[in-house]
Amino acid sequence: MGVVAVMSADNAEPAQSGRSESSLEGTMVSDGPGAAAQEPPSEHVERGVEDQSAPETPEQRAASALETPEQRAARFERDAMPLLDQLYAAALRMTRNPPDAEDLVQETYLRAYGAFESFRAGTNLRAWLYRILTNTYINGYRKRQRQPVAQPTEEITDWQLAQAAQHTSSGLRSAEMEALDRLPDSDVKDALSQLAEDFRMAVYLADVEGFAYKEIAEIMGTPIGTVMSRLHRGRKQLRDMLTGVARERGFLRDAEIAS
Amino acid sequence: MSGGDLHDTDCHEVLAQLWLFLDNECDHERRRLLRQHLEDCGPCLEEFGLEGHLKALLARKCGGDHAPDALKQRLRQSIREIMVRQAHAGLSSER
Repeated sequence: MGVVAVMSADNAEPAQSGRSESSLEGTMVSDGPGAAAQEPPSEHVERGVEDQSAPETPEQRAASALETPEQRAARFERDAMPLLDQLYAAALRMTRNPPDAEDLVQETYLRAYGAFESFRAGTNLRAWLYRILTNTYINGYRKRQRQPVAQPTEEITDWQLAQAAQHTSSGLRSAEMEALDRLPDSDVKDALSQLAEDFRMAVYLADVEGFAYKEIAEIMGTPIGTVMSRLHRGRKQLRDMLTGVARERGFLRDAEIAS
Repeated sequence: MSGGDLHDTDCHEVLAQLWLFLDNECDHERRRLLRQHLEDCGPCLEEFGLEGHLKALLARKCGGDHAPDALKQRLRQSIREIMVRQAHAGLSSER
C-alpha cells in the first residue's frame, strides 16, 4: 500500500512500509496535533496543500498571535464548517457506511480545529481538511473496519496501457453512454464502492471533488505517478463494472457490447 | 490531418493521454495538439466523449451527500466547549 501517514496527530504512527520515495518524506513529527500538516515542504511539494508552510509574514504572525479562541472558533465556523457536507460524502465513500463516516468526520473536524491556529489563511483549506480526513482514516478507521482491504498492485505496465489505448468498436460508444445515463445513482455509487480503496479515493478526489493530480498526491501521500496509475486503473475497472451493470439491467444488449 | 506532431498514426498516444486532457493536467501546447487530433479523428473523439461522460456521470451521481444535522450540532457543541476551555486557560495565564 503506497499510502503514507503524513499528518502528525496524537496517535501518529510510524510510516507504513512500502512507502514511495517521493514527496512527503520527513513530515512525520511527534509534537502534538497542533503541528499537524504544517511541516516544511520538500522540493516536490512546494505549493498546493503545503502552501501554509510558506514563510509567514510578520503581519500574519501577529494576526495569529492576536487571535482569541473566540475569533478562531468563528473563523473555523465560517471557513471549515461549510465544507462539512463534502467531507462527509468523502468519508461515506471511504468507510462505506454512515455511522463510521460520521465518526470519521467528527474526529477529522476536531483534529482540524485543534490544528487550526497554525493554518494560514489563503491556503487550500479544502485540501488540508481532506488530508486530515485521509490520515485519520488510515491511522484509525481502516484498521478497525472488518472488511478486508483489497491490495491493488500499483505498477501499471505498458501492456495494460496498450490494452486501454485501443478504439472500441464503432457504434458501441453512444449506446454505452446512453446506458450509463440510465443507471440510478445507487448503482454508480455501488460500483465505486467496489473499487479497491486506493483506486476509489483517487477516482473520487479527481472526478467528484475535482482535485488536481498534485493535490491528490499530497492528500494521499503518494507520488503523482501513483495517483495517475490509480486513476487509470480505477476508471477502467469502473467503466467495465458500470457497463456490466447496465447490461444486467437490460439497458445494453449483449450484441451492442460484443466488440 | 494537418500540422502538429500528432498524426493519424498516433491514435495510440492520443488515447493514452485523453485523461490528462479531461483532467486538465496537460500544458497549453499539448492541449492544442490533442484537440487538433480529436477534431480530425472520429474514433478518438468518440472515446474522448465516453471518458468525459464517465467523469461527468461520477461527479453527478457520487457526491452531494449531506452530513446529518445531529453530527453538525455535536461538532459545534464540542468546538464551543474546547473554545471555552481555551479562553479560560488564556485568562488564567494572564494573571
